[in-house]
Amino acid sequence: MKFLYKDLLNFLSEKPAKELLSEKLFQLGHEHEIADDIFDMELTPNRGDCLSLNGLARELNVFFGKVQPYKIFEGDIPPLDFNFKNLCKDACPKISFLEIEIEDGIALYKPYLENYFSLLGNNKVNFFTDVSNYISYELGQPTHCFDAKTIDNQLIFENRVCDESFKTLLESNINLEGKNCIFSVDNKILSLAGVMGGKSTACSSQTRKTIIECAYFKPEEIIGKSIKYNLVSDAAHKFERGVDIEAQEKVLRRFIAIVQDHAVIKNFKIQTFNDVEHKQYSIPIDLERVNKILGIDIEKEKYLMILNKLGFEINNNVLNVPSYRHDISSQNDLAEEIARVLGYDNIKNKPIEIKNNLNENIKHTSKVKNFLVQNGFSEVINFPFTSVKDKKSITIDNPLDSNKSHLRRSLKYSLLENLQFNERRQNDSIKLFEISDIYSRDDHINQEKKLGIIISGRRGHNYADFSKKLDFNYLNQILNEGLDNNIFNIEEISRADLKTKKKDKIFYTEVLIENIPPDIYKDYSFNKEKINFIKYQPVSEFPSSVRDFSFSIVDFKKYNMVIELISNFDDDILKDAYFFDFYENKKLQEIKVGVRLIFQSVLCTLSEEEIQKTIHRLLKPILDLEGVSVPGL
Amino acid sequence: MSSFNDIEPPKLSPQLGAIHPINQVKDFLIDLLQDYGFTAVDGPEIESEEFNFDMLNIKKTHPARQMHDTFYVNNKTKVLRTHTSPVQIRSMLDSNPPLAITSAGKVFRKDDDATHLPMFHQVEGMYIDEQVTFSQLKDLIHKIIYAIFGSEIQIRFRPSYFPFTEPSAEVDILSENGKWLEVLGCGIINPLVLENCKIDSNKYSGLAFGLGVERIAMLKYGVNDIRDFYKSNLDFLNQFK
Repeated sequence: MKFLYKDLLNFLSEKPAKELLSEKLFQLGHEHEIADDIFDMELTPNRGDCLSLNGLARELNVFFGKVQPYKIFEGDIPPLDFNFKNLCKDACPKISFLEIEIEDGIALYKPYLENYFSLLGNNKVNFFTDVSNYISYELGQPTHCFDAKTIDNQLIFENRVCDESFKTLLESNINLEGKNCIFSVDNKILSLAGVMGGKSTACSSQTRKTIIECAYFKPEEIIGKSIKYNLVSDAAHKFERGVDIEAQEKVLRRFIAIVQDHAVIKNFKIQTFNDVEHKQYSIPIDLERVNKILGIDIEKEKYLMILNKLGFEINNNVLNVPSYRHDISSQNDLAEEIARVLGYDNIKNKPIEIKNNLNENIKHTSKVKNFLVQNGFSEVINFPFTSVKDKKSITIDNPLDSNKSHLRRSLKYSLLENLQFNERRQNDSIKLFEISDIYSRDDHINQEKKLGIIISGRRGHNYADFSKKLDFNYLNQILNEGLDNNIFNIEEISRADLKTKKKDKIFYTEVLIENIPPDIYKDYSFNKEKINFIKYQPVSEFPSSVRDFSFSIVDFKKYNMVIELISNFDDDILKDAYFFDFYENKKLQEIKVGVRLIFQSVLCTLSEEEIQKTIHRLLKPILDLEGVSVPGL
Repeated sequence: MSSFNDIEPPKLSPQLGAIHPINQVKDFLIDLLQDYGFTAVDGPEIESEEFNFDMLNIKKTHPARQMHDTFYVNNKTKVLRTHTSPVQIRSMLDSNPPLAITSAGKVFRKDDDATHLPMFHQVEGMYIDEQVTFSQLKDLIHKIIYAIFGSEIQIRFRPSYFPFTEPSAEVDILSENGKWLEVLGCGIINPLVLENCKIDSNKYSGLAFGLGVERIAMLKYGVNDIRDFYKSNLDFLNQFK
């Protein structure tokens, strides 16, 4: 909801600066952003009563006082004998109809009405609809204007099963399905109640006689309809959150006053169908309870003053809740009212001593994880949705899409996707694991915690492991060595069905966590102090380039210097560097050191020139050393 | 150094993997709360509507229960839990106060765009005893936030709305660029929720709070795109060693 700063000021006795107004709105729990003189409110769903200038002013009354800046028609309104039948009084316990007929000629909009359109960016439609929209902004009550000449028989409100098309006043065709609250004439749907009117009965710029419907619809009957039919409407937003059941007559009197401001009224009549008497809700005054909830010691006088200014009536030992506050029903609600006005940040902190009947923490999996991490495996987390199903799969009734319509029964396919993703990113040594709950269904829903591990590629990025492959023996040795039984059953995943040119073998194992003996990873406890909140570097989406160099060192005194120069070399485009080869050629009295340099930029694909520039910076000081060379360079 | 005997091959530094950053943050938060006296408990990700919504005072008509917000499974008999709060219900039904539990894990919402994922992680805590007050809740939340972001961080409490707490608050921290960022939701447990769990709300009161793990991880690590956590990209994951 957007409002103009100066429009709200008109409703307040004091005229706070924009900054102070903003501060108090935040204090009361009303988030917003400000652009120039426009406040864009983001109200919580329980505060539908604040979706208007009048509603916000009621809140701010406690700080700045409230005035009624607008006039309403105070005189008698002749009765209307409207042909209407309410077939669902439970969904619409109160509804009023105002018939207004005006002379030709509508004056230029007065500033209060004109500003609503020109300064807040709302579109004008026609006079009666414009007034209706403005009143909703001012008082929070949606109204709907029918062109009177289009209602030629009994108007019926009902909540019935529909299976028909309906053209909205925005000219979109909606296929109504299931139960909907509607207005109809001769069984033809005229409007989707509380959401949007229909084209066939909409007012136009030629309309001179209108019937204004002003109702209280139960929120439960409106919720979900605007999303179901993709109809965004201010009315639905307000009715879903609840409007003031006592406000209808005042709103229609205000309607008359605005029309009078702009046109000559020929006649007007009103009729209200009030089928359920609104029962005022009351809460006992219990200051002690409120003080206990908040941990404060507010005095009774102040407590009553605050609530009174928020619209609560004090009646002996009870507080009458205003008809627009659907969110208030308990002492805790009243405590929140007091706290909001005092300011949450002004309530003094009091230390707490936690006592606890429970002391057995869940056994978590940190030791298994730490063991794997120490051995070079990285943990991944995948979404559980998959298209793969079997007879025990759990089906999602409303999936995001058809490829995500089941819960996975194994971690295998997720990890295989992760492996292929990293292969496509030129990663040649991949060791991944995931631990997750897995669900299946027979008579019951079953839950199991599983560990999945996948490997492929080189064993590592050093001269000891570079030429070795991750294989069955590697995984078996790491996981099963020292265990009485082979807990981890390792399988090779064929690449035959994978769209890849890679040839490295893929090995996979999956095990129930509960099958892993609890004591085998006892040396891998989680270190609480270990977490290091590094500042992460964005990952490049551009290809990397690899360059290998083999250094020949015949002057052994230079060896340490060469290693140091390479190890300490740093450059923005050097992603990684490691020694993939080390060889002592005793026959030739030579040491060979192989270095792999991987270049990548986060900004662009690197040119050969950029790469060579960096290589030159690395090699120059090394090749300047006597007795060090790169054969073939 | 003139012979091979003097040559040390290049050092073989251990090639470590990494625990996923979301789990690192999750474990950090759980450990923190355990240090304060909370006990870590767990619960299922597939929940009944009763525990996920009804017992928490989330009414049938609440928008969160619509098909477009919640994943329903098994012929609409169950839901993928939309928050970790059902664990609170299970704990209250199982144990008598005083009761201090923390629960962490995956939660699911039917949402998938640049800033929302269909699965994310929450950590939450609950404490029930005689005379638990809002002022005590504030003190605890201050301690938690100082432990995460440092004791210099500026904190703001704002009134908010959760069906299962009353009063409810959202807590913001002031970022380096002067903007308030929401990091936590909390409140005094709604007495209706206590009564739903057969706890006498005239004798006992409680506090509850919840944090989005991804939110904390993004702020602490400086990750701008939440989707980066779930690409399983080793170039990303291996930064968190």
